[in-house]
Parts: sequence; structure tokens; C-alpha cells
Amino acid sequence: MDQLDILKQNWQSQTDNSPRFTKEQLTGLLARTSSGIVKWLLIIAMIEFVVFIVLGLVSHLANQENHTIEMMGAPFYYGSMIFHYVVIITFIYVFYSNYKHISISQPTSSLMNKILKTRRTMKWYIWYNLTYMMLVGMIATVLVIPNDPKVTELLASPEMAGHETAFYLMALGASFIVFLIICVVMYLIYQLIYGILLRKLQRNYNELKRMEI
Amino acid sequence: MSKQLEEEFIKQLDENQNIVHKICRLYTNDQHAHKDLFQEVTVQLWRAYPKFRGDSKFSTWMYRVALNTAITLYRKSTRRVTTQDYESVQFKIEDQNEEDEQMEQLTLLYGAVKQLNDIEKALVFLYLEDKNYREIAETMGISEVNARVKMNRIKTKLTNIINP
Repeated sequence: MDQLDILKQNWQSQTDNSPRFTKEQLTGLLARTSSGIVKWLLIIAMIEFVVFIVLGLVSHLANQENHTIEMMGAPFYYGSMIFHYVVIITFIYVFYSNYKHISISQPTSSLMNKILKTRRTMKWYIWYNLTYMMLVGMIATVLVIPNDPKVTELLASPEMAGHETAFYLMALGASFIVFLIICVVMYLIYQLIYGILLRKLQRNYNELKRMEI
Repeated sequence: MSKQLEEEFIKQLDENQNIVHKICRLYTNDQHAHKDLFQEVTVQLWRAYPKFRGDSKFSTWMYRVALNTAITLYRKSTRRVTTQDYESVQFKIEDQNEEDEQMEQLTLLYGAVKQLNDIEKALVFLYLEDKNYREIAETMGISEVNARVKMNRIKTKLTNIINP
């Protein structure tokens, strides 16, 4: 007889000093809230959605103040804004439909898969936002520069003669670097948050996957 | 949710709470964590209960929810194993003559099971609960063949832990 079967024979007789809960205690437990990772995924996702929506609105208000919209051209400005919010709404829909399908009573491997899929949606959401900010930011730079009176004035000065292209490239390069730094910082924050949250899940998921090879 | 549903749930949970305790014992190393996991399992069971239609036994459904909570939802790491804790697990041995020797062996085995990873523990748990390979495979969402192969590997691993 193998080792495990010896344990199996005696398995049901195990006890330890942890107490059995009374019915009253069990009823009390029902009122508690979950501290599980699915709840945290939802909270983080809500924060992400709110942050980028608010960020968009704040920048819109700021642009109205300092005439950026006229300089950039209304069609591009409003076009990109509408596009942006349509994409965000799509993300919210995809997230919600993934989230709704997480059911604790499904088989372990599909539960893990659903959770990771939900997390992937949020990863793409962040990458979309960063890419959007970078692309629109750079296009806006190109559109704004020729129409900005301050820049026109600067380029008209004798010292700048012949260096217009260099100026454009530097402006683009600078904004690119700023966005790159933001991306790296965001990436690190994300690795940290989801790393803490999902490390165990990822490890167990990999273990399950290894079994299927 | 209605009072009647709550009473019905509490009755079933009370009858089967030993299952949850066994899982908590296997996946945690101290009383505090044990209670914490028990609480999370209860919350998850209660939230999923309205969808439990009784097409399977309450206990079968409970195995799934409780193991999923321990392996997937519960955040605290369960890697650390402190020796004094699992020694608190006792088994009732019928044959008085062999009690000491057998008790020692069982404690050793239980200790070895506690050193397995989360997935292996789940398979072993279901095996010890006398589930067949089809049920184990269904709970974990793997194929029956893989469950069988994995179980054999775990048995070898346990032997190696006990007799290094």
C-alpha cells in the first residue's frame, strides 16, 4: 500500500485545536466583505477608468483656456477626443463582460484564466492610454507649433534663421522622451501592483499549465 | 437575500464546515490565517450560493469554491511552513498497540503534504477525500489523464520528502 493511502485511511479522523464555528458565528461571517483578489481587480480597474477619463476632461478644459483647440484645428481635436472616449467605453464594456464571467464555482483552471484575461484587458487599457497620449501629443505638437504666436516670434528672430527643422525635431524629441519616462514609471507601478496581487495566482496557473504538457 | 435562503445556507455550511476546516488546515500555518481563509471561503460560498442550483451535491460544489478560494482568490502567500504548526493536527488511531508508531508516520506524511505547492495540495486533498480521478479532473479543470499522471508524480515526490 502506498504512503498516501495510509493517510487516506485516517484522513477523516483528523482534528486540531482550531474551533468549530457555531451557527451564530457562521451567520456573522456572512456579513463580512471579501478580501479576495477579484475585488481588488475591480477596485484597481475603476480607479484606472476614472483616472484617464478625468485626465481627458481636465486637459480639455485646459485646452479651452489657452486656445490650443484653434491652433490644433477643431476637426483633429474633437475627432481624437471622440475616438478616445469610444475606445474607453469599449474597454469598460470588455472589462465588465470579462468580470461578470468570473465565477468562483467554475473549474480552477478556467477561473484562473478568466481572472488573468480580465487583468490583460486592463493592461491593454493602460497601453492604449499611453500610446494615445504619446501619438496625440506628438501630432498636436506638430500642429500647434506653426500656429503658436510665441513660437512664430521665436523662429522669426535672426539667431533661429535656418534652424527651424532642428527646432521641430528637438520639440518632438523632448515630448517623446517625456512620454517615454511616463511609460516606464507607469510600467513599474503596474508591475508592482499586479505583481503583489497576482503573483500567487500566476504561479499556480503556470503549475496547472505545466501539468497539461 | 431572504432569511430563508440564509437559514438554508447556514444549515448546509454548518453540516459541512469540516471540509472547509480541512482545507484551511492544509493551506495555512497558523490559527489566525486559518480563520482568515475560513472567513473568505464563507463569503465566497455565500455570494455564489444563489447560483447553486443543486444539480450537484452541496459538498461537491463546496469543494470547488473552497479550493478555488484557497488557490486563486486568497492573497496571502502559503509557502512558508513552520514545523510546530502542523504537529497540532491529530489523528484518531483505532489500534491502540500501534498507536505511537502510526501516529508518527501520519504526522510525517501530513507534514510532507504541507510542503507541496498549492496545486499539488488540491489534488492530494481531493484524493484523500476519496474523490475519483474524474471528479478531481473536473474540479481542477484538467484532463483525467493529466490528473492521474500528476497524482503519481506527487506520490513519488511525497516518498522523496519522507525518505530523502
